[in-house]
Amino acid sequence: MKKITRRSFLAAAGLSAALALTACSSTSSSTAASASSTASEAASSAASGAASEASTQAIQSLEDLNGKTVGVQLGTTGDLMMSEEVGKADGLNLAGVEQYSKAADAVQALLTNKIDAVCIDDQVAKNFVAANPDELTMLDTAYSEESYAIAVSKDNPELTEKLNSAIAELKEDGTLDAILNKYIAKEEGATGYVSPEGTEYPNGTLVMATNAAFDPYEYIENGEIVGIDAEFAKALCDKLGYDLEIEDMEFDSIIAAVVSGKADFGMAGMTVTPEREEQIDFTDTYCTAAQNIIVLK
Amino acid sequence: MAFFQNLWAELVSEFTATFITEQRYLLFLNGLKTTLIVAFGAAAMGVVLGFVIAYIRTTHDHTGRLRFLNGLCKLYLTVIRGTPTMIQLLIMYFIVFGSVKIDKVPVAILAFGINSGAYVAEIFRSGIMSIPPGQMEAARSLGLNYTQATWKIILPQAVKNVLPALGNEVIVLLKETSISGYIALQDLTKAGDIVRSRTYSPFFPYISVALMYLALVLVLEKLLGYMEGRLARSDR
Repeated sequence: MKKITRRSFLAAAGLSAALALTACSSTSSSTAASASSTASEAASSAASGAASEASTQAIQSLEDLNGKTVGVQLGTTGDLMMSEEVGKADGLNLAGVEQYSKAADAVQALLTNKIDAVCIDDQVAKNFVAANPDELTMLDTAYSEESYAIAVSKDNPELTEKLNSAIAELKEDGTLDAILNKYIAKEEGATGYVSPEGTEYPNGTLVMATNAAFDPYEYIENGEIVGIDAEFAKALCDKLGYDLEIEDMEFDSIIAAVVSGKADFGMAGMTVTPEREEQIDFTDTYCTAAQNIIVLK
Repeated sequence: MAFFQNLWAELVSEFTATFITEQRYLLFLNGLKTTLIVAFGAAAMGVVLGFVIAYIRTTHDHTGRLRFLNGLCKLYLTVIRGTPTMIQLLIMYFIVFGSVKIDKVPVAILAFGINSGAYVAEIFRSGIMSIPPGQMEAARSLGLNYTQATWKIILPQAVKNVLPALGNEVIVLLKETSISGYIALQDLTKAGDIVRSRTYSPFFPYISVALMYLALVLVLEKLLGYMEGRLARSDR
């Protein structure tokens, strides 16, 4: 704490010295003053442990988003949908969309009052709200419903077919439900899917591209990528006799990785959209979800 | 023949998707503008900050005055050079300006300017130190005091010496601003990222972004070459 305060003091001090000398001295005093005041503010708010006590919930429904700025994760369906809504008079009429590299960055920006709301998939939204119950809440109505599927290169229809049959089988025998129970319903003692002992991988390795910052679908726990998609992919690959290798990357890189053959398939809570279908094939859907809006309480 | 026709058709459709559809060229243009504002704002701030620090540090080395300020400058250099620019940018955005709604451009200028200042300081210091001590002694013996000698004799020569290194720093800074996409600032790199996330095809967005940076650096090099040439007129 002391270190941070001292560093920001230093920054503010150096800053005021520098700005006072620059040509644009008209703004210097105010900027420097705000820098030092926010530094102390940040220090005091961090000390008291609450970032935004004074704010009241300004956004109650989707209509209240009119003229507001929404944060999203670059390349997600939330991004595609919210970007359409910017300045659309018969829609949400947003003031703007800010595309962060990670959903958590968007939520952080919301927590620090940089934006007014975050649009993200419902299960992920729930986890963010659960992690910040005092500051965040979710709108009651979802923005849209959607379904997740696995992305496979158009050059590899055999793999799509194999995955489809494996998805059908795993839906049938309850494996998928077991995984969803573990991560979404969070039932006590739910084991999800564990590879049966002696599983062999005669067909080689499949590389899965994902963005492991999307709790509960894929996230990093104890240094390993876990979550619904990771576990379901393991089950699928076990079924098909492939070893599974998961590669973590930015969400907006996944489709490019699959198209260019750097990964065999992409699985990252990815919604089927017509634009994406132009680039890649989707398997049958395995999960339904919705886009939800997180706002400050 | 048909192969080339197909290739051509594909290139045209990709080019259209990258630049024309939904007026995406505007994303690139605005990104370019943001990159330029951030880079030159930060460069201006860095040069001023760096100069002040170098002046304090050399004055301390030569005369033993300004001990407190010298310590402060050393601390600044250690902290700024010892931590990644990306982390500094994130700290500036999420912690220093943690609870205010603020335009991201000044935040980025501040973060990059403070960062660059540390490197520029050492560049200026090396320039000042490169002037032989005899110059200062001669100036002092002619009756100039320390400040006059520094400004009239040492600094004009030092600035000429540091110009290539300073140009280098500005070029590095220009390219380093490409990480500002991390705070969702739509600079040139982020514009390429956004377009790629819409077209799912990396070729045109990234190649054109790379070419735009290259063009900017070429212009910078020309400008610096001109400045060096101008300053070299008095060399003979």
